[in-house]
Amino acid sequence: MNVQEEGEVRIKEETDIAIARRATRDLATKLGFGVTETARIVTAASELGRNTYKYAGGGVMLWRALIDNDSKGLELRFSDEGPGIADVNEAMREGHTTGGGLGMGLPGAKRLMDEMEIQSVVGKGTMVTVRKWRRR
Amino acid sequence: MSVQTEVITAEQARKNTLNLPVETSLEMLRLLVENIKEYAITTLDSHGLVMTWTPAAERMKGYRPDEVIGRHFSIFYPKEDVSDGKCDRELEVAAREGRFEDEGWRVRKDGSRFWANTVITALRDAQGNSKGFGKVTRDLSERKQAEERNKQQSQDILEMATVPAVQVWEGILLVPLIGMLDSARTQQLMERLLQRLTETSSPVALLDITGVPTIDTQTAQHLIETIKAARYVGAEVILTGVRPAIAQTLVHLGVDLSHTTTRSSLTGGLRVALSLLNLQVAGTTRND
Amino acid sequence: MTNELISVIKVHDLLLATMPSDPDDATVAALQEETLTAMDQHEVRGLILDLSKVEILDSYFARTVAETAQMVGLMGGETVIAGMRPAVAITATELGVTLGRTRTALTVERALELAGQRNNATRRR
Repeated sequence: MNVQEEGEVRIKEETDIAIARRATRDLATKLGFGVTETARIVTAASELGRNTYKYAGGGVMLWRALIDNDSKGLELRFSDEGPGIADVNEAMREGHTTGGGLGMGLPGAKRLMDEMEIQSVVGKGTMVTVRKWRRR
Repeated sequence: MSVQTEVITAEQARKNTLNLPVETSLEMLRLLVENIKEYAITTLDSHGLVMTWTPAAERMKGYRPDEVIGRHFSIFYPKEDVSDGKCDRELEVAAREGRFEDEGWRVRKDGSRFWANTVITALRDAQGNSKGFGKVTRDLSERKQAEERNKQQSQDILEMATVPAVQVWEGILLVPLIGMLDSARTQQLMERLLQRLTETSSPVALLDITGVPTIDTQTAQHLIETIKAARYVGAEVILTGVRPAIAQTLVHLGVDLSHTTTRSSLTGGLRVALSLLNLQVAGTTRND
Repeated sequence: MTNELISVIKVHDLLLATMPSDPDDATVAALQEETLTAMDQHEVRGLILDLSKVEILDSYFARTVAETAQMVGLMGGETVIAGMRPAVAITATELGVTLGRTRTALTVERALELAGQRNNATRRR
Protein backbone atom coordinates (compact mmCIF):
# COMPACT_ATOMS: atom_id res chain seq x y z
CA MET A 1 0.00 0.00 0.00
CA ASN A 2 1.47 3.30 -1.05
CA VAL A 3 0.62 6.84 -0.13
CA GLN A 4 0.20 8.97 -3.21
CA GLU A 5 -0.71 12.28 -1.63
CA GLU A 6 -1.58 13.54 1.80
CA GLY A 7 -2.75 16.60 3.65
CA GLU A 8 -4.70 17.82 6.60
CA VAL A 9 -7.67 19.91 7.63
CA ARG A 10 -7.71 21.40 11.10
CA ILE A 11 -10.91 21.01 13.07
CA LYS A 12 -11.05 23.80 15.57
CA GLU A 13 -14.30 25.66 14.98
CA GLU A 14 -17.78 24.46 14.10
CA THR A 15 -17.44 25.73 10.56
CA ASP A 16 -14.39 23.50 10.11
CA ILE A 17 -16.68 20.47 9.96
CA ALA A 18 -18.18 21.80 6.73
CA ILE A 19 -14.68 22.58 5.46
CA ALA A 20 -13.61 19.03 6.20
CA ARG A 21 -16.65 17.79 4.28
CA ARG A 22 -15.86 19.91 1.29
CA ALA A 23 -12.23 18.84 1.24
CA THR A 24 -13.28 15.21 1.52
CA ARG A 25 -15.75 15.57 -1.32
CA ASP A 26 -13.12 17.12 -3.57
CA LEU A 27 -10.66 14.35 -2.75
CA ALA A 28 -13.17 11.56 -3.27
CA THR A 29 -14.28 13.02 -6.59
CA LYS A 30 -10.69 13.48 -7.72
CA LEU A 31 -9.93 9.85 -6.87
CA GLY A 32 -12.81 8.78 -9.06
CA PHE A 33 -15.31 7.64 -6.47
CA GLY A 34 -18.91 7.63 -7.74
CA VAL A 35 -21.70 9.84 -6.45
CA THR A 36 -23.00 7.36 -3.89
CA GLU A 37 -19.57 6.30 -2.68
CA THR A 38 -18.58 9.94 -2.30
CA ALA A 39 -21.74 10.60 -0.29
CA ARG A 40 -20.80 7.73 2.04
CA ILE A 41 -17.28 8.99 2.57
CA VAL A 42 -18.29 12.61 3.14
CA THR A 43 -21.03 11.59 5.55
CA ALA A 44 -18.57 9.47 7.52
CA ALA A 45 -16.14 12.40 7.57
CA SER A 46 -18.90 14.65 8.87
CA GLU A 47 -19.80 12.24 11.66
CA LEU A 48 -16.21 11.77 12.76
CA GLY A 49 -15.33 15.43 12.26
CA ARG A 50 -18.21 16.45 14.44
CA ASN A 51 -17.11 13.98 17.11
CA THR A 52 -13.66 15.55 17.06
CA TYR A 53 -15.08 19.04 17.38
CA LYS A 54 -17.81 18.36 19.89
CA TYR A 55 -16.42 15.74 22.21
CA ALA A 56 -12.69 16.25 21.99
CA GLY A 57 -12.47 20.00 21.85
CA GLY A 58 -11.00 20.01 18.40
CA GLY A 59 -8.32 18.21 16.49
CA VAL A 60 -7.24 17.50 12.96
CA MET A 61 -8.31 15.41 9.97
CA LEU A 62 -5.37 13.89 8.15
CA TRP A 63 -6.11 12.54 4.71
CA ARG A 64 -4.14 10.23 2.46
CA ALA A 65 -4.73 9.11 -1.10
CA LEU A 66 -3.71 5.46 -1.24
CA ILE A 67 -2.93 2.98 -3.96
CA ASP A 68 -2.81 -0.76 -3.39
CA ASN A 69 -2.40 -3.16 -6.33
CA ASP A 70 -4.15 -0.89 -8.82
CA SER A 71 -6.88 -0.06 -6.31
CA LYS A 72 -7.32 3.55 -5.35
CA GLY A 73 -8.40 4.43 -1.83
CA LEU A 74 -8.95 7.35 0.50
CA GLU A 75 -7.91 7.30 4.13
CA LEU A 76 -9.12 9.78 6.72
CA ARG A 77 -7.62 9.96 10.18
CA PHE A 78 -9.26 12.03 12.90
CA SER A 79 -6.83 12.87 15.66
CA ASP A 80 -7.45 14.72 18.87
CA GLU A 81 -6.06 15.28 22.32
CA GLY A 82 -9.40 14.99 24.00
CA PRO A 83 -10.62 12.92 26.93
CA GLY A 84 -10.29 9.65 25.05
CA ILE A 85 -12.74 6.76 24.91
CA ALA A 86 -12.77 4.51 27.93
CA ASP A 87 -14.59 1.62 26.36
CA VAL A 88 -14.28 1.44 22.58
CA ASN A 89 -16.64 -1.52 22.30
CA GLU A 90 -19.27 0.38 24.18
CA ALA A 91 -18.81 3.37 21.90
CA MET A 92 -19.20 1.13 18.87
CA ARG A 93 -22.45 -0.30 20.12
CA GLU A 94 -25.43 0.77 18.03
CA GLY A 95 -27.29 3.70 19.50
CA HIS A 96 -24.61 4.60 22.01
CA THR A 97 -25.01 8.18 23.14
CA THR A 98 -22.56 10.61 24.69
CA GLY A 99 -23.09 14.20 25.69
CA GLY A 100 -26.56 14.47 24.32
CA GLY A 101 -25.66 13.57 20.77
CA LEU A 102 -27.38 10.88 18.81
CA GLY A 103 -24.28 8.78 19.07
CA MET A 104 -24.35 7.82 15.42
CA GLY A 105 -20.74 8.84 14.95
CA LEU A 106 -18.63 5.72 15.29
CA PRO A 107 -20.98 2.87 14.36
CA GLY A 108 -22.40 4.94 11.51
CA ALA A 109 -19.00 5.77 10.10
CA LYS A 110 -18.02 2.12 10.32
CA ARG A 111 -21.06 1.09 8.28
CA LEU A 112 -20.33 3.64 5.59
CA MET A 113 -16.61 2.90 5.19
CA ASP A 114 -14.65 -0.23 4.31
CA GLU A 115 -12.13 -0.18 7.15
CA MET A 116 -11.99 1.46 10.55
CA GLU A 117 -9.40 1.53 13.29
CA ILE A 118 -9.68 3.21 16.66
CA GLN A 119 -6.89 3.98 19.07
CA SER A 120 -7.70 5.80 22.25
CA VAL A 121 -6.11 6.47 25.61
CA VAL A 122 -8.14 8.05 28.37
CA GLY A 123 -6.80 11.46 29.24
CA LYS A 124 -4.52 11.56 26.21
CA GLY A 125 -6.59 11.48 23.06
CA THR A 126 -8.13 9.49 20.25
CA MET A 127 -7.26 8.53 16.72
CA VAL A 128 -9.99 7.20 14.41
CA THR A 129 -8.88 6.01 10.99
CA VAL A 130 -11.27 5.07 8.18
CA ARG A 131 -10.62 3.91 4.66
CA LYS A 132 -12.67 3.41 1.53
CA TRP A 133 -11.50 1.67 -1.61
CA ARG A 134 -12.84 2.30 -5.06
CA ARG A 135 -15.13 -0.44 -6.32
CA ARG A 136 -13.67 -1.96 -9.49
CA MET B 1 -8.77 1.88 -43.86
CA SER B 2 -6.10 0.99 -46.25
CA VAL B 3 -5.56 3.28 -49.17
CA GLN B 4 -2.83 2.26 -51.53
CA THR B 5 -1.03 5.20 -52.95
CA GLU B 6 1.73 4.51 -55.33
CA VAL B 7 4.09 6.72 -57.19
CA ILE B 8 2.77 7.06 -60.67
CA THR B 9 5.19 8.05 -63.32
CA ALA B 10 4.15 8.96 -66.78
CA GLU B 11 5.58 5.67 -67.91
CA GLN B 12 3.53 3.65 -65.47
CA ALA B 13 0.46 5.70 -66.15
CA ARG B 14 0.73 4.55 -69.69
CA LYS B 15 1.10 0.95 -68.56
CA ASN B 16 -1.77 1.16 -66.09
CA THR B 17 -4.27 2.48 -68.54
CA LEU B 18 -5.65 1.02 -71.68
CA ASN B 19 -4.52 2.77 -74.83
CA LEU B 20 -5.19 6.23 -73.55
CA PRO B 21 -2.89 9.15 -74.09
CA VAL B 22 -0.79 9.91 -70.98
CA GLU B 23 -2.36 13.34 -70.65
CA THR B 24 -5.85 11.83 -70.46
CA SER B 25 -4.98 9.27 -67.85
CA LEU B 26 -3.11 11.80 -65.73
CA GLU B 27 -6.01 14.19 -66.13
CA MET B 28 -8.42 11.47 -64.97
CA LEU B 29 -6.29 10.78 -61.92
CA ARG B 30 -6.16 14.48 -61.15
CA LEU B 31 -9.93 14.68 -61.41
CA LEU B 32 -10.23 11.71 -59.07
CA VAL B 33 -8.09 13.39 -56.42
CA GLU B 34 -9.93 16.68 -56.84
CA ASN B 35 -13.42 15.19 -56.74
CA ILE B 36 -13.23 12.45 -54.16
CA LYS B 37 -15.28 13.54 -51.19
CA GLU B 38 -14.52 11.06 -48.44
CA TYR B 39 -10.77 11.53 -48.45
CA ALA B 40 -8.72 14.70 -48.26
CA ILE B 41 -5.77 13.92 -50.54
CA THR B 42 -2.94 16.38 -50.30
CA THR B 43 0.77 16.41 -50.88
CA LEU B 44 3.60 17.69 -48.72
CA ASP B 45 7.14 18.53 -49.66
CA SER B 46 9.97 16.67 -47.96
CA HIS B 47 9.90 19.17 -45.07
CA GLY B 48 6.23 18.65 -44.42
CA LEU B 49 4.96 21.83 -46.04
CA VAL B 50 1.64 21.59 -47.84
CA MET B 51 2.11 21.54 -51.62
CA THR B 52 -1.34 20.79 -53.02
CA TRP B 53 -4.85 21.13 -51.69
CA THR B 54 -8.28 19.91 -52.77
CA PRO B 55 -11.92 20.96 -52.23
CA ALA B 56 -12.42 17.90 -50.01
CA ALA B 57 -9.46 18.92 -47.87
CA GLU B 58 -10.91 22.42 -47.61
CA ARG B 59 -14.27 21.01 -46.56
CA MET B 60 -12.69 18.71 -44.01
CA LYS B 61 -10.21 21.09 -42.44
CA GLY B 62 -11.65 24.51 -43.14
CA TYR B 63 -8.61 26.07 -44.83
CA ARG B 64 -8.71 27.70 -48.26
CA PRO B 65 -5.80 26.81 -50.56
CA ASP B 66 -4.17 30.24 -50.16
CA GLU B 67 -4.36 29.87 -46.37
CA VAL B 68 -2.67 26.51 -46.20
CA ILE B 69 -0.28 25.95 -49.07
CA GLY B 70 3.28 26.43 -47.90
CA ARG B 71 2.40 25.86 -44.26
CA HIS B 72 3.63 22.93 -42.17
CA PHE B 73 1.16 20.06 -41.83
CA SER B 74 1.45 20.14 -38.04
CA ILE B 75 -1.20 22.87 -38.05
CA PHE B 76 -3.72 20.05 -38.51
CA TYR B 77 -2.72 18.41 -35.25
CA PRO B 78 -3.60 19.24 -31.61
CA LYS B 79 -0.97 21.20 -29.69
CA GLU B 80 -0.13 18.31 -27.42
CA ASP B 81 0.74 16.10 -30.38
CA VAL B 82 2.91 18.74 -31.97
CA SER B 83 4.93 19.49 -28.84
CA ASP B 84 5.38 15.75 -28.47
CA GLY B 85 7.20 15.72 -31.78
CA LYS B 86 4.56 13.50 -33.35
CA CYS B 87 4.60 15.15 -36.77
CA ASP B 88 8.36 14.87 -37.22
CA ARG B 89 8.19 11.22 -36.25
CA GLU B 90 5.47 10.54 -38.79
CA LEU B 91 7.53 11.93 -41.64
CA GLU B 92 10.58 10.02 -40.42
CA VAL B 93 8.73 6.72 -40.42
CA ALA B 94 7.10 7.42 -43.77
CA ALA B 95 10.47 8.27 -45.30
CA ARG B 96 12.04 5.14 -43.87
CA GLU B 97 9.30 2.57 -44.35
CA GLY B 98 7.37 4.07 -47.23
CA ARG B 99 4.21 4.80 -45.28
CA PHE B 100 2.84 5.85 -41.92
CA GLU B 101 -0.75 5.39 -40.79
CA ASP B 102 -2.50 6.47 -37.66
CA GLU B 103 -5.86 7.43 -36.17
CA GLY B 104 -6.31 10.36 -33.88
CA TRP B 105 -7.58 13.86 -33.28
CA ARG B 106 -7.11 16.48 -35.92
CA VAL B 107 -7.77 20.20 -35.66
CA ARG B 108 -9.72 22.32 -38.09
CA LYS B 109 -9.09 25.96 -38.92
CA ASP B 110 -11.75 27.03 -36.40
CA GLY B 111 -10.04 25.05 -33.65
CA SER B 112 -12.64 22.30 -33.50
CA ARG B 113 -11.49 18.71 -33.35
CA PHE B 114 -12.43 15.64 -35.35
CA TRP B 115 -11.32 12.02 -35.27
CA ALA B 116 -9.52 10.94 -38.42
CA ASN B 117 -7.40 8.28 -40.08
CA THR B 118 -4.33 9.51 -41.91
CA VAL B 119 -1.95 7.69 -44.23
CA ILE B 120 1.29 9.45 -45.12
CA THR B 121 3.11 7.96 -48.07
CA ALA B 122 6.64 8.70 -49.23
CA LEU B 123 6.64 9.82 -52.86
CA ARG B 124 9.67 8.83 -54.91
CA ASP B 125 10.51 9.27 -58.55
CA ALA B 126 11.76 6.50 -60.79
CA GLN B 127 15.32 7.14 -59.56
CA GLY B 128 14.20 6.79 -55.96
CA ASN B 129 14.55 10.44 -55.02
CA SER B 130 12.22 11.76 -52.37
CA LYS B 131 9.72 14.13 -53.91
CA GLY B 132 7.78 14.68 -50.75
CA PHE B 133 4.81 12.95 -49.19
CA GLY B 134 1.23 12.13 -50.05
CA LYS B 135 -1.26 12.59 -47.25
CA VAL B 136 -4.68 10.95 -47.30
CA THR B 137 -7.02 11.79 -44.46
CA ARG B 138 -10.43 10.29 -43.77
CA ASP B 139 -12.83 11.93 -41.37
CA LEU B 140 -14.02 9.23 -38.94
CA SER B 141 -16.24 11.44 -36.80
CA GLU B 142 -19.38 9.57 -37.72
CA ARG B 143 -17.82 6.23 -36.96
CA LYS B 144 -16.48 7.47 -33.62
CA GLN B 145 -19.86 8.82 -32.62
CA ALA B 146 -21.48 5.51 -33.55
CA GLU B 147 -18.84 3.72 -31.45
CA GLU B 148 -19.54 5.96 -28.46
CA ARG B 149 -23.24 5.36 -28.84
CA ASN B 150 -22.71 1.61 -28.99
CA LYS B 151 -20.50 1.69 -25.92
CA GLN B 152 -23.10 3.68 -24.02
CA GLN B 153 -25.83 1.33 -25.20
CA SER B 154 -23.84 -1.71 -24.14
CA GLN B 155 -23.30 -0.15 -20.75
CA ASP B 156 -26.97 0.65 -20.43
CA ILE B 157 -27.94 -2.86 -21.46
CA LEU B 158 -25.50 -4.35 -18.98
CA GLU B 159 -26.87 -2.14 -16.25
CA MET B 160 -30.38 -2.99 -17.17
CA ALA B 161 -29.61 -6.68 -17.23
CA THR B 162 -28.18 -6.47 -13.73
CA VAL B 163 -31.03 -4.35 -12.41
CA PRO B 164 -33.82 -4.03 -14.94
CA ALA B 165 -36.25 -1.25 -14.06
CA VAL B 166 -39.13 -0.93 -16.44
CA GLN B 167 -41.85 1.67 -16.39
CA VAL B 168 -45.06 -0.34 -16.75
CA TRP B 169 -47.41 2.58 -16.20
CA GLU B 170 -47.13 6.26 -15.59
CA GLY B 171 -45.63 6.45 -12.16
CA ILE B 172 -45.09 2.72 -11.71
CA LEU B 173 -41.70 1.10 -12.04
CA LEU B 174 -41.31 -2.67 -12.22
CA VAL B 175 -38.09 -4.26 -11.03
CA PRO B 176 -37.98 -8.05 -11.48
CA LEU B 177 -35.18 -9.43 -9.36
CA ILE B 178 -33.45 -12.58 -10.48
CA GLY B 179 -31.12 -14.52 -8.25
CA MET B 180 -29.70 -13.94 -4.81
CA LEU B 181 -29.03 -10.53 -3.33
CA ASP B 182 -25.56 -10.15 -1.90
CA SER B 183 -24.21 -6.82 -0.60
CA ALA B 184 -22.70 -5.85 -3.92
CA ARG B 185 -25.90 -6.54 -5.85
CA THR B 186 -27.95 -4.75 -3.23
CA GLN B 187 -25.87 -1.64 -3.62
CA GLN B 188 -26.38 -1.85 -7.37
CA LEU B 189 -30.10 -2.40 -6.83
CA MET B 190 -30.50 0.56 -4.48
CA GLU B 191 -28.57 2.92 -6.70
CA ARG B 192 -30.26 1.86 -9.92
CA LEU B 193 -33.77 1.70 -8.45
CA LEU B 194 -33.54 5.11 -6.80
CA GLN B 195 -31.96 6.63 -9.88
CA ARG B 196 -34.78 5.32 -12.07
CA LEU B 197 -37.44 6.35 -9.55
CA THR B 198 -36.21 9.94 -9.52
CA GLU B 199 -35.53 10.02 -13.27
CA THR B 200 -39.00 8.81 -14.19
CA SER B 201 -40.64 10.53 -11.23
CA SER B 202 -42.38 7.30 -10.26
CA PRO B 203 -44.02 7.28 -6.84
CA VAL B 204 -44.47 3.50 -6.89
CA ALA B 205 -42.12 0.60 -7.54
CA LEU B 206 -43.03 -3.06 -7.80
CA LEU B 207 -40.08 -5.10 -6.58
CA ASP B 208 -40.81 -8.60 -7.80
CA ILE B 209 -38.93 -11.39 -6.08
CA THR B 210 -40.45 -14.31 -7.98
CA GLY B 211 -36.98 -14.94 -9.41
CA VAL B 212 -35.26 -14.92 -6.02
CA PRO B 213 -34.88 -18.60 -5.06
CA THR B 214 -34.39 -18.28 -1.32
CA ILE B 215 -34.41 -15.54 1.24
CA ASP B 216 -31.94 -15.42 4.05
CA THR B 217 -31.73 -12.82 6.79
CA GLN B 218 -29.15 -10.82 4.91
CA THR B 219 -31.22 -10.66 1.73
CA ALA B 220 -34.28 -9.70 3.72
CA GLN B 221 -32.38 -6.92 5.48
CA HIS B 222 -31.10 -5.69 2.15
CA LEU B 223 -34.63 -5.59 0.77
CA ILE B 224 -35.83 -3.65 3.81
CA GLU B 225 -32.97 -1.18 3.41
CA THR B 226 -33.84 -0.71 -0.24
CA ILE B 227 -37.48 -0.07 0.62
CA LYS B 228 -36.47 2.47 3.28
CA ALA B 229 -34.19 4.34 0.90
CA ALA B 230 -36.91 4.41 -1.77
CA ARG B 231 -39.31 5.91 0.78
CA TYR B 232 -36.83 8.68 1.51
CA VAL B 233 -36.82 9.79 -2.12
CA GLY B 234 -40.61 9.77 -2.13
CA ALA B 235 -41.54 6.41 -3.61
CA GLU B 236 -43.39 3.47 -2.15
CA VAL B 237 -42.09 -0.04 -2.83
CA ILE B 238 -44.50 -2.94 -3.08
CA LEU B 239 -42.91 -6.35 -2.71
CA THR B 240 -44.51 -8.84 -5.09
CA GLY B 241 -43.95 -12.47 -5.88
CA VAL B 242 -43.98 -13.47 -2.22
CA ARG B 243 -44.79 -17.16 -2.64
CA PRO B 244 -45.74 -19.46 0.22
CA ALA B 245 -42.19 -20.80 0.70
CA ILE B 246 -40.74 -17.30 0.91
CA ALA B 247 -43.52 -16.15 3.22
CA GLN B 248 -42.75 -19.08 5.51
CA THR B 249 -39.04 -18.29 5.58
CA LEU B 250 -39.67 -14.61 6.31
CA VAL B 251 -41.91 -15.41 9.27
CA HIS B 252 -39.48 -18.01 10.63
CA LEU B 253 -36.59 -15.58 10.35
CA GLY B 254 -38.60 -13.03 12.26
CA VAL B 255 -38.19 -10.44 9.55
CA ASP B 256 -40.36 -7.41 10.15
CA LEU B 257 -42.09 -6.46 6.95
CA SER B 258 -45.12 -5.04 8.69
CA HIS B 259 -44.55 -1.57 7.28
CA THR B 260 -44.27 -2.84 3.75
CA THR B 261 -47.04 -3.84 1.39
CA THR B 262 -46.45 -7.30 0.00
CA ARG B 263 -48.36 -9.47 -2.43
CA SER B 264 -47.92 -13.00 -3.74
CA SER B 265 -48.54 -12.05 -7.35
CA LEU B 266 -47.48 -9.24 -9.62
CA THR B 267 -51.11 -8.59 -10.53
CA GLY B 268 -51.97 -8.10 -6.91
CA GLY B 269 -49.10 -5.69 -6.53
CA LEU B 270 -50.14 -3.78 -9.62
CA ARG B 271 -53.63 -3.39 -8.22
CA VAL B 272 -52.24 -1.85 -5.04
CA ALA B 273 -49.95 0.36 -7.08
CA LEU B 274 -52.79 1.68 -9.17
CA SER B 275 -54.94 2.36 -6.14
CA LEU B 276 -52.03 4.16 -4.54
CA LEU B 277 -51.96 6.38 -7.58
CA ASN B 278 -55.72 6.81 -7.19
CA LEU B 279 -56.59 5.37 -10.53
CA GLN B 280 -59.76 3.45 -11.29
CA VAL B 281 -59.40 -0.31 -11.33
CA ALA B 282 -62.32 -2.28 -12.69
CA GLY B 283 -62.93 -5.52 -10.87
CA THR B 284 -62.78 -6.88 -7.38
CA THR B 285 -60.66 -5.59 -4.55
CA ARG B 286 -59.71 -8.91 -3.08
CA ASN B 287 -56.32 -9.27 -1.45
CA ASP B 288 -54.12 -11.83 -3.17
CA MET C 1 -17.82 30.31 -0.01
CA THR C 2 -21.02 28.77 -1.28
CA ASN C 3 -24.29 30.46 -0.62
CA GLU C 4 -25.49 28.85 2.58
CA LEU C 5 -28.84 30.54 2.91
CA ILE C 6 -32.07 28.79 3.72
CA SER C 7 -35.18 30.18 2.17
CA VAL C 8 -38.53 29.89 3.90
CA ILE C 9 -41.55 31.12 2.00
CA LYS C 10 -45.27 30.80 2.36
CA VAL C 11 -47.11 29.00 -0.43
CA HIS C 12 -50.89 29.04 0.00
CA ASP C 13 -51.32 27.74 3.55
CA LEU C 14 -48.03 25.89 3.62
CA LEU C 15 -44.43 26.72 4.37
CA LEU C 16 -41.79 25.85 1.80
CA ALA C 17 -38.29 25.68 3.26
CA THR C 18 -35.43 25.12 0.82
CA MET C 19 -32.08 23.88 2.09
CA PRO C 20 -28.73 24.66 0.37
CA SER C 21 -26.42 21.90 -0.83
CA ASP C 22 -24.09 21.59 2.17
CA PRO C 23 -25.28 23.70 5.07
CA ASP C 24 -22.96 24.12 8.03
CA ASP C 25 -24.27 23.45 11.55
CA ALA C 26 -25.38 27.04 12.12
CA THR C 27 -27.42 26.99 8.91
CA VAL C 28 -29.03 23.69 9.86
CA ALA C 29 -29.94 25.11 13.26
CA ALA C 30 -31.39 28.16 11.53
CA LEU C 31 -33.82 25.88 9.68
CA GLN C 32 -35.54 25.04 12.92
CA GLU C 33 -35.55 28.66 14.09
CA GLU C 34 -36.90 30.13 10.88
CA THR C 35 -39.51 27.41 10.40
CA LEU C 36 -40.96 27.84 13.85
CA THR C 37 -40.90 31.62 13.61
CA ALA C 38 -42.68 31.49 10.28
CA MET C 39 -45.24 29.02 11.61
CA ASP C 40 -45.90 31.39 14.44
CA GLN C 41 -46.35 34.37 12.15
CA HIS C 42 -48.54 32.76 9.50
CA GLU C 43 -51.49 30.44 9.52
CA VAL C 44 -50.02 27.37 7.90
CA ARG C 45 -51.10 23.76 7.76
CA GLY C 46 -47.68 22.32 7.36
CA LEU C 47 -44.12 22.40 6.15
CA ILE C 48 -42.61 21.25 2.89
CA LEU C 49 -38.89 20.73 3.29
CA ASP C 50 -37.14 20.92 -0.07
CA LEU C 51 -33.97 18.83 0.12
CA SER C 52 -33.43 18.60 -3.63
CA LYS C 53 -30.16 20.53 -3.48
CA VAL C 54 -28.79 18.70 -0.46
CA GLU C 55 -25.79 16.49 -1.10
CA ILE C 56 -25.00 15.31 2.43
CA LEU C 57 -27.27 14.42 5.30
CA ASP C 58 -25.37 13.52 8.45
CA SER C 59 -26.85 12.56 11.81
CA TYR C 60 -26.95 16.16 13.04
CA PHE C 61 -28.85 17.39 10.01
CA ALA C 62 -31.20 14.38 10.20
CA ARG C 63 -31.87 14.90 13.89
CA THR C 64 -32.65 18.57 13.32
CA VAL C 65 -35.09 17.65 10.55
CA ALA C 66 -36.78 15.07 12.77
CA GLU C 67 -37.05 17.56 15.65
CA THR C 68 -38.40 20.26 13.37
CA ALA C 69 -41.04 17.87 12.06
CA GLN C 70 -41.96 16.99 15.62
CA MET C 71 -42.33 20.64 16.56
CA VAL C 72 -44.37 21.35 13.45
CA GLY C 73 -46.58 18.43 14.45
CA LEU C 74 -47.04 19.79 17.94
CA MET C 75 -48.08 23.09 16.42
CA GLY C 76 -50.71 21.25 14.42
CA GLY C 77 -48.96 20.90 11.10
CA GLU C 78 -47.60 18.13 8.89
CA THR C 79 -44.18 17.87 7.30
CA VAL C 80 -43.36 16.56 3.85
CA ILE C 81 -39.77 16.04 2.77
CA ALA C 82 -39.34 16.60 -0.94
CA GLY C 83 -36.74 15.76 -3.53
CA MET C 84 -34.20 13.82 -1.52
CA ARG C 85 -31.39 12.67 -3.80
CA PRO C 86 -30.70 8.94 -4.27
CA ALA C 87 -27.18 9.13 -2.83
CA VAL C 88 -28.47 10.96 0.24
CA ALA C 89 -31.33 8.50 0.72
CA ILE C 90 -28.94 5.57 0.51
CA THR C 91 -26.43 6.99 2.99
CA ALA C 92 -29.21 8.07 5.33
CA THR C 93 -30.51 4.51 5.34
CA GLU C 94 -27.06 3.04 5.88
CA LEU C 95 -26.28 5.53 8.60
CA GLY C 96 -29.49 4.46 10.28
CA VAL C 97 -30.99 7.90 10.84
CA THR C 98 -34.65 8.46 11.33
CA LEU C 99 -36.39 11.47 9.92
CA GLY C 100 -39.30 11.27 12.29
CA ARG C 101 -42.94 11.32 11.37
CA THR C 102 -42.62 12.82 7.93
CA ARG C 103 -44.02 11.97 4.60
CA THR C 104 -41.87 12.11 1.52
CA ALA C 105 -42.42 13.21 -2.05
CA LEU C 106 -40.34 12.97 -5.19
CA THR C 107 -40.62 16.66 -5.94
CA VAL C 108 -41.81 19.88 -4.36
CA GLU C 109 -44.64 19.89 -6.89
CA ARG C 110 -45.84 16.50 -5.72
CA ALA C 111 -45.39 17.54 -2.11
CA LEU C 112 -47.75 20.42 -2.70
CA GLU C 113 -50.25 18.03 -4.27
CA LEU C 114 -49.81 15.62 -1.40
CA ALA C 115 -50.30 18.29 1.23
CA GLY C 116 -53.31 19.48 -0.71
CA GLN C 117 -55.09 16.19 -0.19
CA ARG C 118 -57.27 16.62 2.84
CA ASN C 119 -58.26 12.99 3.08
CA ASN C 120 -55.32 10.65 3.12
CA ALA C 121 -56.19 7.02 2.51
CA THR C 122 -52.75 5.77 3.45
CA ARG C 123 -50.51 7.10 6.15
CA ARG C 124 -46.91 6.70 5.19
CA ARG C 125 -43.82 6.85 7.31
